Amino acid sequence: MTGSWIAVVLLVIGVLVVLAASLGALLLRAPADRLHLLAPVTTVAGPLIGAAVAIRLGGITVIAEAVLIVVLAIVAGAVLQAAAGHLLVRTGEEEE
Amino acid sequence: MNAIDVWWSVAAGSLLVGGLGPALVLAGSGAPRGRIVGLQLAGSVTVLLLMVLAALLDQPTVLLLPLVLVLVSFAGTLVFTRLLGPDP
Repeated sequence: MTGSWIAVVLLVIGVLVVLAASLGALLLRAPADRLHLLAPVTTVAGPLIGAAVAIRLGGITVIAEAVLIVVLAIVAGAVLQAAAGHLLVRTGEEEE
Repeated sequence: MNAIDVWWSVAAGSLLVGGLGPALVLAGSGAPRGRIVGLQLAGSVTVLLLMVLAALLDQPTVLLLPLVLVLVSFAGTLVFTRLLGPDP
């Protein structure tokens, strides 16, 4: 039961990070600034929510799957951010 | 539904509205190259949302969906960054 509430705490913190990043991205004007706020979603919220899911569902398979999803999301997010940043700089659209 | 399930449901709803909503607004407005940010945000938030839904439904097999989505959205977004780039 304690584990369930630990999972809830991790989940809530992760969701709050996502909400803050999404709202911040909406409020910022320049696309390059918005791009920075994508990082917390994958690097902070991802592991928190992944841990919450692993605690709730349990089992070695679930833990391995959650870790794999989070790691892939972090790596893919970093590569995509770099690619998007490169695109914005090349086309001169990093500032609005 | 016990209190813990309520929290998980609220979390899923919050991700759907507060996470995907702004992502859709960002992806649907502004210059085409600036919309890439919304696309990336939508992909990341959807992966997290699917993980939360898998836990909420107590269906570990549903975790296959966010796993596939991470890979597919990665490839798809990279294609968009390539196509939106200036002509060589």
